[in-house]
Amino acid sequence: MSFRDSCLPNTVFCLLIWLSFNAILAAAPFDEGAEDGEIKEGKITVRSTEDKDQDLDNLKRFEKAADVFQARCLSCHQDGVSEGDFSLSTKASAFRDGHIVPGDLDGSRVWEVIQPIGGEAEMPNDSPPLSEDEQQAVRNWILAGCVWPEGKVLVPAAIVDFDWWAFHPIARPNIPSLELINTKDLQIEHPIDAFLRRRQQDRDLSPSPLADRRTLLRRLKFDLLGLPPTIEEMEAFLADKDPEAYRKLVDRFLASKHYGERWARHWLDVVKYADTCGYDKDKLRPNAWPYRDYVIRSINEDKPYRRFIREQIAGDVYYNGQPDGILGLGFIAAGPWDFIGHVEVPESKLDGKVARNLDRDDMVSGVFNTFCSLTIQCARCHHHKFDPISQQQYYGLQAIFAAVDRAERPYDTDPEVEADKAKLLATINQSQAEIKRIEDEIQQDGGDELLKLNQRYEELKGKAFVKKDARFGYHSQIVKEPFVEKWVEVDLGASQLVSHLELFACHDEYAQIGAGFGFPVRYRVEVFGEASDAKPVTVADRTSVDQPNPGLTGVRIALPSPMQLRRVRVTATQLMERANDYHFSLAELRVLADNGENLARGAKVKSLDSIEAPARWGRNNLTDGEWATYTNPEVAKEFSEVSQRRFDLLKRMQTPERIKERDDWRSRLASAEADLKKLPAGKMVYAAATDFSPQGNFKPTSGKPRDIRVLARGEISQPRETADPILLPLFDAMTDEIGTDVSESERRAALADWLAHEQNPLVWRSIVNRVWLYHFGKGIVQTPNDFGKMGSLPTHPELLDWLATEFRDGGQWIKRGSMKDLHRLIVTSHAYRQVSDDDPEKSLIDGDNQWLWRMNRRRLEAEEIRDAIMFVSGAMDFTMGGPGYRLFKLERPTHSPHYEYHKFDHSDPSTHRRSIYRFIVRSQPDPWMTTMDCADSSQSTPKRDETLTAIQSLSLLNNQFNLVMAERFSERLIKETNTLSEQVAMAFEISMQRQATAEDHLAMVEYAERHGLNNLCRFLFNFSEFIYID
Amino acid sequence: MVFSMEKTLNRRQAITSATSGFGALALAAMMQKDTSADGVMGVLHHPPKAKRVVQLFMAGAASHLDLWDHKPELERHHGEPSDFGEAVEAFQNGLGPWMKSPFKFSPAGQSGKMISEVVQPLASHVDDIAFIHNMVGKTGVHSQATYLQATGFDRPGFPGMGSWISYALGSIREELPTFVVLPDHRGFASNGPKNWGSGFLPASAQGTAIFPQRDKPIEDLYPAADFATPDADRDGLKLLSQINRQFQQTRPGDSRLESRLRAYELAARMQLSAPEALDISGEPDHVMKMYGLDREGAVYPDSINAQEEAEYFGRKCLIARRLLERGVRFVQIWSGNDNSFPRRNWDSHENIERDHGPLARGMAVGTAALLQDLKQTGLLEDTIVLWTTEFGRMPSTQGSLGRDHNPYVFTNWLAGGGIKGGVTYGPSDQWGYKPADRDNPTQVYDVHATILHLLGIDHERLTVRHDGIDRRLTDVHGHVLSDLLA
Repeated sequence: MSFRDSCLPNTVFCLLIWLSFNAILAAAPFDEGAEDGEIKEGKITVRSTEDKDQDLDNLKRFEKAADVFQARCLSCHQDGVSEGDFSLSTKASAFRDGHIVPGDLDGSRVWEVIQPIGGEAEMPNDSPPLSEDEQQAVRNWILAGCVWPEGKVLVPAAIVDFDWWAFHPIARPNIPSLELINTKDLQIEHPIDAFLRRRQQDRDLSPSPLADRRTLLRRLKFDLLGLPPTIEEMEAFLADKDPEAYRKLVDRFLASKHYGERWARHWLDVVKYADTCGYDKDKLRPNAWPYRDYVIRSINEDKPYRRFIREQIAGDVYYNGQPDGILGLGFIAAGPWDFIGHVEVPESKLDGKVARNLDRDDMVSGVFNTFCSLTIQCARCHHHKFDPISQQQYYGLQAIFAAVDRAERPYDTDPEVEADKAKLLATINQSQAEIKRIEDEIQQDGGDELLKLNQRYEELKGKAFVKKDARFGYHSQIVKEPFVEKWVEVDLGASQLVSHLELFACHDEYAQIGAGFGFPVRYRVEVFGEASDAKPVTVADRTSVDQPNPGLTGVRIALPSPMQLRRVRVTATQLMERANDYHFSLAELRVLADNGENLARGAKVKSLDSIEAPARWGRNNLTDGEWATYTNPEVAKEFSEVSQRRFDLLKRMQTPERIKERDDWRSRLASAEADLKKLPAGKMVYAAATDFSPQGNFKPTSGKPRDIRVLARGEISQPRETADPILLPLFDAMTDEIGTDVSESERRAALADWLAHEQNPLVWRSIVNRVWLYHFGKGIVQTPNDFGKMGSLPTHPELLDWLATEFRDGGQWIKRGSMKDLHRLIVTSHAYRQVSDDDPEKSLIDGDNQWLWRMNRRRLEAEEIRDAIMFVSGAMDFTMGGPGYRLFKLERPTHSPHYEYHKFDHSDPSTHRRSIYRFIVRSQPDPWMTTMDCADSSQSTPKRDETLTAIQSLSLLNNQFNLVMAERFSERLIKETNTLSEQVAMAFEISMQRQATAEDHLAMVEYAERHGLNNLCRFLFNFSEFIYID
Repeated sequence: MVFSMEKTLNRRQAITSATSGFGALALAAMMQKDTSADGVMGVLHHPPKAKRVVQLFMAGAASHLDLWDHKPELERHHGEPSDFGEAVEAFQNGLGPWMKSPFKFSPAGQSGKMISEVVQPLASHVDDIAFIHNMVGKTGVHSQATYLQATGFDRPGFPGMGSWISYALGSIREELPTFVVLPDHRGFASNGPKNWGSGFLPASAQGTAIFPQRDKPIEDLYPAADFATPDADRDGLKLLSQINRQFQQTRPGDSRLESRLRAYELAARMQLSAPEALDISGEPDHVMKMYGLDREGAVYPDSINAQEEAEYFGRKCLIARRLLERGVRFVQIWSGNDNSFPRRNWDSHENIERDHGPLARGMAVGTAALLQDLKQTGLLEDTIVLWTTEFGRMPSTQGSLGRDHNPYVFTNWLAGGGIKGGVTYGPSDQWGYKPADRDNPTQVYDVHATILHLLGIDHERLTVRHDGIDRRLTDVHGHVLSDLLA
């Protein structure tokens, strides 16, 4: 049985397990290849094939039944899936085990299981029973003898029904006219209130009164800036007699740079932003932050939403040469990325393909969840079960990202530098092509003999199993060009008599090199006598021609006669290529006396440089007596012979002319590469990229799209037809075709156009719903990432569409695409400004407050709590932007970084900055923040949870951050005022922006007298009033 | 709350809820998930056999062939070129000759189960254990495979099994965390805390990591500041309660504010119960010895060794027993950290004997003691013990002494609440390369379904709507392994 489906438990029509157990069934009715309609067994009359009307009727019956099978059964019961060993794909498979008996309903197991009993049927599993019409279609087909046209193959049906609110074009509704509305209790002059009021009227609800000014200021400032008001702000607002005082406040906050810091966080929640990759090893992404800063800046600049979309999907195409065009592409790269699956596993292996498929899935779902509120990822393994998205379409969307990876790329480029770079890249490409041409010629001249040797070489390589220790050897630093000298030497400690030397090469699977890893192409070996300034004597000079790679066979260098010597140095003059870079490594250097004793065992090793990455790589490994060997000596022997013969043959083909020509090209290549390196690289951002520095098996596509196939069941091992890039056919103004010969950047540009198109029914609704949700705590559609059939319906569809069109097109209230105007409109509504108090009568009608008869009280979010604590304590450093500050101690960053939160000291003032600038670790999120329901960067979070736990209380009371801030707060109070009573009063007022009651004041003073101000401040951070907003 | 319970209920659940009242209870719980720590399941789907779970996770991929799954064929053909009868894609191309286990196997218990010498301490328990030898995974990549075994999905963002169970059943004793994780003290395994994160479930369902060897085993349980004295805490909580009470009373109809008051009461109780649960100083000598903890202050060599491993793993097992006794619902113990060198996890590419030997001996001491203790206190009757890892290892060599990844077959075992002991289920083929019956492997979904079943939960009916999908621990798969049920 196969268990490869995924996702939708309620609707997968699951396993017909019973079928496999049900042995006592009628024999298969058809012989293979029987004529249509011709029945050899069965309880009803055999029909004549001459009866054409009858044929036509039977065909129609088949088509009707087939529609039912395709819509309701095939997703589980098709070839390649065959849940319960039953497939309805073809005539042969459908009738093979006798689960369908032509003409015999009672004898047909299929008929039996679809019969509902008490409203439930055995099949389809976890899905509503077949409708009466559907049952009828199956019944008629069986009774009429189960005609199945020859060769007809059934495939699961995709949903093509676009009749759903979210796919309907957005029409601009009229604002409900004021006459229709009972305005006795309130003057309605705001369009939002008009829409809301109309709905409330139907339900006998009415809005609550306006909240007082203190509540409004707290609400507005936290909402727009994520910070508490100051005492001065509060006093000024309470004293402001201007009827426009509130509006002025709104304008001031929207102009504040802190507005972007608050609202960017919402966006980053949705796009899964983090500063590490996630998955195994969870490597750092040191240059993710420029995207975070880009989002903050874009929001502060009130960048029109269309442009914001375009920059994030195809900014490099639309805004070529502008930093934001590149920075925006950080969106595509924001989510998790599997280092092992990309760098360590090659794309040719299934595991490598799986990683890349999941990577594109993350890109596609990122785009569609974020901008369209569509759960596109449901169509990865099968057609979407509810929304009109087929598997072909899903993979067509993957094809848009077929050439894209996540990597660092420069974003602040200078046109002159770019021109130079282009020239150098052209030289590099040409040199590489010429070198390849020469090498191809050499191979060709080698003829059959070389071909055979190559073949045998590869065979033996596959058979030659290697035994090796965890300590591979010595490994130099990596460089970008081959002609760099690197040396390593052993010091015997004292001069000794030596008769010969042995060099052993390393074995490392890195870049699939294996044996001979890092052994120099050209090198020399020198020995030194006792004196510290002794002149070297060259005992082997292999610097003028390329040397054969010895694989795991040692290279023996006999000295002309035994020599007294103390040091032996191997100098590589041409380094071996690794993966687009070069280095020198060596497993063991043996210095042998006449009697065969290795004088170098355990000797001191020096080198020009070394990567020192224990246990594999370290200088001392050179003399540890361990090197890789083949386990099978016979294979090893032949392997070494073949290698040598192959090398000798190649050498014969390498005429001096060829060598010279190749060396010329090589040096041009090296100098172009060196020049390229000297060009200013530009600042880097982690973003979608097609050209970047390769790392192991992770190599750039240079814009050449990968072949994307539709994958049966989403399985890499079951590729079907090629998927060409497409868009979804959601509106008429744009074709859903992109074309097959379209470059990768044009593919993304087409997607950006489609998203930003004014007729796109999803995008505009999606964004205004998100903004609404963040203001009210609840969306008009309560499933902000899913506007499909599994999502919620809008409570106020007209309001949603009105806001969407006003925002999209611009109008009386909102400039085209202006987020700030949208906020202004929402926060000036009565609905936003009303009290959050409960009203038992209204609660009875609408306890959930979906008709917004009051404002929703909310708890502060994790960042707001942390920021508010630093803000009131006077500790906050408002420096904006830059690399994330770390609230953990980073250990062992090169291999698998350890993020040690418990070893961090929170008194470090460089971390007292707004929480959006934290370095976010994907696999190990900050425990304090997580306890406060911070977003998890492994998944898109359109709305934060609000939980209450004992652990949360303990964190707020006892975490070192809270303790440090309590001290800062009381230092501030002591500095600003004199008596304890005044300090307590001030502490309360700074925290809550009101004065404490006399009774509470007394209680707090008493407490502070006994236990000190530090403790009082610590508890103030735990007051419900501190972390809730009315 | 992001969850809409009406939406979460599928058709069958709706029917159940109408008759059992589960829906109403669940709705009440979900509307306000708070410190009462009630699970969403007011009424179980069927009578349970177990209440608690211990999951022992061997990070890095423990070899079935060298611990539980004896392969005489490998002994016969040791050193001969391996022939798998098909093209095999190995993670690091480790397809050397067949390699027998460096460890001796001998029969144990009434069932005569052949187990390796390195897990001998478990010999007296094999008759309580049901071995599953035909587990299959999806990939040979540690990260994805660990996610799969821990959360049922091979990518990040999904709740761990312990989170689902906490979410469904809630706590047994509310002043202790419902779901406790005891990570390897040397560092996290692949994916770190994401293996026990709550994903899209409420944060209250996440695992609480406890590090018994640290100064502060539970972060933030107590304040570390001179000014924060016990008196200041006591009076402070009183003041806090008084002022928060006023805030709550002037805002009727908001149950969150009431819950918040309770959260602080519970926090204070947790401050007392948690340290008591972790304090093993009162355990008698024979118990300490049984868990390998009788070498207090011993100095260990740098190289990996069985005594040290036994002490580390045993300590976690003893604490696990204490937590279970005191009402923790789900305990997850990890053996093995990340993939750095020298190896301190089960990823023995280089040398099975050197690394698996000490790790397994250490694991077996603690595990045997835990089973023994649970059995004699009767707790084993309603506590499920699951031994698992992310995948197995190849029957061929890599280098000459190590084994490469084998996601195609590996072993899990279950014991305790409702599990039939002395069972060997779903054999692997003669090499231990793939299941003997390739068409009917066991997958993590089946193990998860079985555990939920024993806890009284129908794995198909415990669902949460997230981004348009009714998510469940077992995705769209899973069959209860009825052959393993007592």
